[in-house]
Amino acid sequence: MEQQLEAYGAEALEGIAAAGDEAALEAVRIAYLGRSGKVSAVSEGMKGLSKEEKPRVGKKLNEVRTAITAAFDARKSELENERDAKALSGIDLSLPATPRFEGSLHPITQLLDRAISIFRQMGFALADGPDIETEWHCFDALNTPPDHPARNEGDTFYLPDGRLLRSQTSTVQIRTMETTPPPVRIIAPGGVYRRDEVDATHLAQFTQIEGLYVDEGVSLADLKGTIAFFFRELLGNDVQVRMRPHFFPFTEPSFEIDIKAAALGRGDRWLELAGCGMVDPAVFAQINGKRGDFAYDPEKYTGFAFGFGLDRLAMILSGVHDIRLFTENDTRFLSQYRA
Amino acid sequence: MKVSLNWLKELVDLPAEIDSLCDLLTKAGVEVEGVETTGAAIDKVVIAQITEFTQHPNADRLSVCQVDDGSGQPRQIVCGAKNFKAGDKVPLALPGAVLPGDFKIKVGKLRGVTSEGMMCSGKELQLADDADGLLILPNDAPVGAPLETLYPADTVLEIEVTPNRPDLLSYTGIAREVATLLKQPFRAPTLTAAPERSGPEITLQATTLCPFYSARKISGVKVGPSPEWLVRKLEAAGLRAINNVVDVTNYVMLELGQPLHAFDVAKLNGGIVVREAKGGEELLALDGKSYRLQPGELVIADQSRPVALAGVMGGEESGVTETTTDLLLESAWFTPSQVRRTSRRLALSSDSSYRFERGVDPQGVLTASARAVELIVQLAGGQPEPQTAIAGELPASGGRVPLRLERCQLVLGKAVTWEEIEPILTGFGLQRDGEEWVVPSFRSDLSREIDLIEEVARVIGIDAIAPRDIARFSATSEADRRHDQGMALRRHLAGAGFQEARSLTLISEKAAAHFPLEAILRVRNPLSEDEVILRPSLLPGLFHALERNLRGGNADLRLFEVGRIFRADEREERSAVALLLTGAATPASWRDPRPRAADLFDLKAALAVVLNPLAREAITLEPTTHPALAVAVEIRHGGKAVGIAGQWQPARARELDATAPVLVAEIELDLFEATPRQARFRELPKFPAVTRDIALLADHTVAHGAVEAALHGAGEALLVGVELFDLFTDPSGEKIPKEKKSIAYALTYRSSERTLTAEEVGAAHERLKAHLKAELAVTFRE
Repeated sequence: MEQQLEAYGAEALEGIAAAGDEAALEAVRIAYLGRSGKVSAVSEGMKGLSKEEKPRVGKKLNEVRTAITAAFDARKSELENERDAKALSGIDLSLPATPRFEGSLHPITQLLDRAISIFRQMGFALADGPDIETEWHCFDALNTPPDHPARNEGDTFYLPDGRLLRSQTSTVQIRTMETTPPPVRIIAPGGVYRRDEVDATHLAQFTQIEGLYVDEGVSLADLKGTIAFFFRELLGNDVQVRMRPHFFPFTEPSFEIDIKAAALGRGDRWLELAGCGMVDPAVFAQINGKRGDFAYDPEKYTGFAFGFGLDRLAMILSGVHDIRLFTENDTRFLSQYRA
Repeated sequence: MKVSLNWLKELVDLPAEIDSLCDLLTKAGVEVEGVETTGAAIDKVVIAQITEFTQHPNADRLSVCQVDDGSGQPRQIVCGAKNFKAGDKVPLALPGAVLPGDFKIKVGKLRGVTSEGMMCSGKELQLADDADGLLILPNDAPVGAPLETLYPADTVLEIEVTPNRPDLLSYTGIAREVATLLKQPFRAPTLTAAPERSGPEITLQATTLCPFYSARKISGVKVGPSPEWLVRKLEAAGLRAINNVVDVTNYVMLELGQPLHAFDVAKLNGGIVVREAKGGEELLALDGKSYRLQPGELVIADQSRPVALAGVMGGEESGVTETTTDLLLESAWFTPSQVRRTSRRLALSSDSSYRFERGVDPQGVLTASARAVELIVQLAGGQPEPQTAIAGELPASGGRVPLRLERCQLVLGKAVTWEEIEPILTGFGLQRDGEEWVVPSFRSDLSREIDLIEEVARVIGIDAIAPRDIARFSATSEADRRHDQGMALRRHLAGAGFQEARSLTLISEKAAAHFPLEAILRVRNPLSEDEVILRPSLLPGLFHALERNLRGGNADLRLFEVGRIFRADEREERSAVALLLTGAATPASWRDPRPRAADLFDLKAALAVVLNPLAREAITLEPTTHPALAVAVEIRHGGKAVGIAGQWQPARARELDATAPVLVAEIELDLFEATPRQARFRELPKFPAVTRDIALLADHTVAHGAVEAALHGAGEALLVGVELFDLFTDPSGEKIPKEKKSIAYALTYRSSERTLTAEEVGAAHERLKAHLKAELAVTFRE
């Protein structure tokens, strides 16, 4: 019986070694270890053995079984590996990726979000105000003379009830100070409207970002530091910022901000980008009048404000020649701004 | 304002480097927008006289000229122009001269005849825009002298003057500014006003619109052309010379900033009346156009009719011409707002209105008049009346403004001393008087301490102030949370393959056609009919984008927009997100050349992207109707409507040649909390789950939602999951009856306390089947 087992074992190992595929291998396993396999038959036949013979034959049976199983497992994994290697060889890896729809954020959103992040790094919080505004918030409170051209029907959109579509986000300065006593340190991004004829560089609606900081001891040095940091962060360390004295009704002193930077790709030309200045005490007086207190005591508090449009900067940064592309939402345009 | 440096040099010494002057001015807030060089400062271009000329022997179009170049030697020039005669004086470029455009002049032969130079046109010397032959010079031009003696080189700066600085609209104003910036002396012209008398010939009726009016008569003038120096100065400033009287008024306006006007006394019917226009009055102005006046507008009139649009433009019929002998010189102070109003209404802007509407120096009104009279008499002769007739009172000007050093330092953020401040303010014409500064009449913009600090800041310059980068902390605001929510939403949608659109807020009536009229907000002065209505929804913008993209051949679209919408209710403005989905559900490719078209269930997937992060309570979709949608559901959050979703009317989609369903949704963001949701942890299951399938045969009318609700509503504690995994219909009726659908679910059972036995699960499964059978008209497929 033992010899019989030995012989089966040897046969089985040969059969396993010779099995060319998994089916042949499995056939060998069944032929020997299967329920009616040769080795299993020997196992059945052990019933008739004597007490002395049983352990010896049993041991042998185990040895043979273990050897066949080990050889089977080894050969099986060999065959599996061969199959895997065959399946994975010769794949044309240059075939295109499985496509999926790729989303994108609008270029103005991307720039706006970057700008907001930088101002937040500097400790500004966001503030908000409505697009539909009163003339008081858009002009009077901002120290704009009653006959200022910006108030014209030709320059500003009006609603039938006399309210208007804000022509600047500076309205949010007023909204914030009306409800919040100093200190305030806010930025306000948003849409603004001007009655400009639409062409390649003008829309009747664009996006501005406004900033305001009112506190004790705020000076031009703080304004300059803020502006310089912002543009350095946005456009790189090579940026040059020029603050050119100018006139705005709601700030004094006032400056226009010109910048030069390699990122703008405009060579040595200055780009006029923003306006800023120290909050005019007349604005505080308007706020105090509206609040009915003296929270914005111009002797105690000073502040700076700034504002700039994002559309033109977004155009220049990505080389867009026609501002209308920003509102047409052609996916061939939008797809270029996958971030 | 155009500023000739030749003229400016008469008032202040200028640096040789024009760039540094421009830089200095720009940095002080007087922006130099352009620099133009004029004149004929070209070496070896001289004044020459053509002594005789003959036809070129070999060329019909050329002449051979003998010219006198002042050297004593006649010079032969071959010339193609025809507009000269013997004796004319012309510019001559000698060999060695280099004309604009790097055109080098050499001795050469033209068709075999030697030419020793070139006679020039105005264009070749950049003295004129057109080239109508040679530039013929005045008869008295000195032969042999450089052409520059006739056309001196000059540099003209184009300066942008901000509206708060009317004093810079004159050479004296600019010179004063430049002198202070350069720390150079300012050579102010010496001016003395003539004695005054109240004038019976002036009737001042409108003192609010014109507080002060003066007129001075000059008799016996001889009107003629102005001398060269005057013409040149006017031309440098961009004005055209007219006659010596008009030119003097313009000259003085440029010099001192006070616009003046001269009337021909012979054409006036009696004395001057300064009054409001009457309805229906008309005036033919100097620009040759007739203007109809409105009541309330200021006019200068004689006894019978208006003769000038006060401060804006004189009348054609009463102006000074060659025949004028007696004139009346007006110098007045008009209220800026009325000049601005009239000028704007008539769309008529002049050098005069430009200055008056910004405010002229009240103390300069009479000195400018005297200055002009002096020059008129000098150039046109005549006898002025010894006194100026006046009416009204000049407005108050000047004033006293305190200035504290510590305040100045606080605003600047920089230590400054009186030694730095004093020369700046005195240079600008202020005088210190103790703690206060006396402001000159021409600086009406300086009335508060901050105004003086601004002057100091401009001159010291922002470059001298060190930037500071210390500031206060800020707490997160509601606007911050809303922004973060909006950005997170955008990024989720972009991650899900949607592209962000940004549309205009103003839309057309047609685009808003589906919205109830009472919801609509309009602008009353739209630019065009395309931009009339404040969008009540983001969907019209996305439909517009759809139209454009379909036209451009982009048929697979997944667009979204986050933005403001407007409704005429108490909330008025709100923020919303909208989605538009059409075309293939996945991009066609070699993996799947013909993907299915996106449908309502892809829209539901997109809605989940938006709503999952926002929702705090259950989201339900309730069938509804919507005028723009063929299939519509109302999106509810905790039972409250927050938006709409559905499929656009196929008929409208077909109009745009859309071949696939157009699916849209819009959700109002303000109806959700801005604070991000804090996730709550649930223990992970410790015991294995068992899944059993169930296949139902049901009428088409039995909704999946009803089956799901029935299963969850059965009160079966062990049931933890219901998943639809197969839905099957057979229109042929072969496999299942036509009117039925097969619908299969995987039901998951689990206990949090023990491993379930097959018997427990089987019993629960049977209970659910019985429940379904009782609740819904279904049978089971085994």
